Amino acid sequence: MREAVLGESLETRRTFWQILAADRYIKWFLILPLLVVLLCFMFYPLFYCLYMSFHEYVLRAPPLFIGAENYRVVLHDMVFWQAIGRTFYVLVVCIAVELSLGMGIALLLNREFKGQNTIRGLCLLPLLISPLAMSLMWNYMLHVQFGIVNQVLVWLRLGAVEWISNPKIAIYSIMFISIWQWTPFSIFVLLAGLRGLPKDALEAARVDGASRWFTFRRLTLRMLTPLIIIIILLRTMWLIRIFDPLYGTTRGGVGTESLDWFMYRISFVFFDVGKGSALALFSLYVTIVLCAILYRQLIKALGAAR
Amino acid sequence: MRRVMFWVAIVIILLVFLLPIAWVYVTSLKSPADIFRPEKLAFAPTFYNYKYIATVRPSLMEFRNALIVSVVSTALVMAVSLPAAYSFARFNTGGGHLLFITISTRMFPPVVAAVPFFFLFRDLGLLDTHLGLILLYLYFNMSFATFLLYGFFREIPEELEHSAMVDGYGRLSIFRKIIFPLIKPGAAITTVFCLIFAWNEFFFAFLFTRRLARTVAVGLAVFWGSIEIQWGPMAALMALAILPTLAAAWFMQRFIIRGLTFGAVKG
Repeated sequence: MREAVLGESLETRRTFWQILAADRYIKWFLILPLLVVLLCFMFYPLFYCLYMSFHEYVLRAPPLFIGAENYRVVLHDMVFWQAIGRTFYVLVVCIAVELSLGMGIALLLNREFKGQNTIRGLCLLPLLISPLAMSLMWNYMLHVQFGIVNQVLVWLRLGAVEWISNPKIAIYSIMFISIWQWTPFSIFVLLAGLRGLPKDALEAARVDGASRWFTFRRLTLRMLTPLIIIIILLRTMWLIRIFDPLYGTTRGGVGTESLDWFMYRISFVFFDVGKGSALALFSLYVTIVLCAILYRQLIKALGAAR
Repeated sequence: MRRVMFWVAIVIILLVFLLPIAWVYVTSLKSPADIFRPEKLAFAPTFYNYKYIATVRPSLMEFRNALIVSVVSTALVMAVSLPAAYSFARFNTGGGHLLFITISTRMFPPVVAAVPFFFLFRDLGLLDTHLGLILLYLYFNMSFATFLLYGFFREIPEELEHSAMVDGYGRLSIFRKIIFPLIKPGAAITTVFCLIFAWNEFFFAFLFTRRLARTVAVGLAVFWGSIEIQWGPMAALMALAILPTLAAAWFMQRFIIRGLTFGAVKG
């Protein structure tokens, strides 16, 4: 009787180990399609750009090896550095505003109130709508003559503003469009984080007589740090290649050319493939460095949150 | 008093987020003359713009193209990402490095991929075809879908599978009877996200299509001619192009209640 039970458990244990042994193959089998796509779509462009960045290739003649000339030209181009500076400016301002607004609205929406789910859902709408469509719409609404925004300003006797056509203001209009569209993303992530916070810890702090500000700074904010870094990480990746809001409004003119627009112009307007490739690799390098720094911060914050 | 302040804040937030979207629909109903008269708040609504986009330009084809490309690419993305995310979550395949590489494809500026693929697709005859765009979106959405699904798979306790294994279930039946029902909500969210991304995507669609495979997003940009922008018809096409995403938002709202916590973050 005893032996029978033992034998049976040995039996099941063996099949269990057999399956586990087979797992070594099954896990690679499951991941195979992804690897194929990755190989084709990641490494091909990478090597193509690497190859072309050392060549002069403007479509008419076959690629001509010129060493690091493309990089030299790009790094000496003032327009390039202006585009980089502008992109980083947009990056910092947008993320700062989105995070603070997102946190404020998330705290507001975190309460229990009538119709809470509908209102939370409505706040996410801008996120889901085509960025190009909305930037075209904002272009119409911010139009200097027949935009509704200026009309309201006129009604308020404040005077019309050249939102899109003034080089001093256009970049802020683009930032505004981006912030309008992406603040819901911060709200969404932070609200999910707020709802997952341990209630008893916050309650205990309140019982101990901690002020609201103290509780927020010392508990809420600290526990949400990983999520905040994730938002910064993702938004950095997305904002570094800001393109749609530009296409819908200024088309890179009026002092709003971003890094991505500059690359687009070099590669697809002038068809300077060599220089475009050098630029693309440079931009990739900047993104990876930025994201690696943020990723390390994230791992650190996750360690601290545990 | 606090309650009043709270509701005032909510109303202001909703107005800022929703008025621009509502303005799309308002503008689409304006006559060509009223488009340039913002001071006229009470105007006679007309379907002129909708008639225009239905007859003068190939709007229907653009919708069909966008639909084909988003549905097929999303199906492919899910076929690739579901097993891969499961493998990452359950076996930690590649020891975390492979997952990081997969996610990092999202860091790639689209231009890095656009230049090489433009010439490759030109040589292969894939420019301005559905297939070309579908392949690009597969690459574009795959990493994000894998990352999301990875988080959802991580939330399923491993013990569940172990006990099923001990009970003598095979891999396949475990996946079908235990994993799949549990991952269904997560997979649904991921599918909707991929559909929306593909539907809204502009940069690749703009570069890789001309006429035959042109999607709605590119169609919108076409109203910006060399002389003027046709605001009215553009708003009408926008109003229709936004509708599917609004439907998706309504669908997703049920899941927001649950709170889409980023499973990967919670570790």
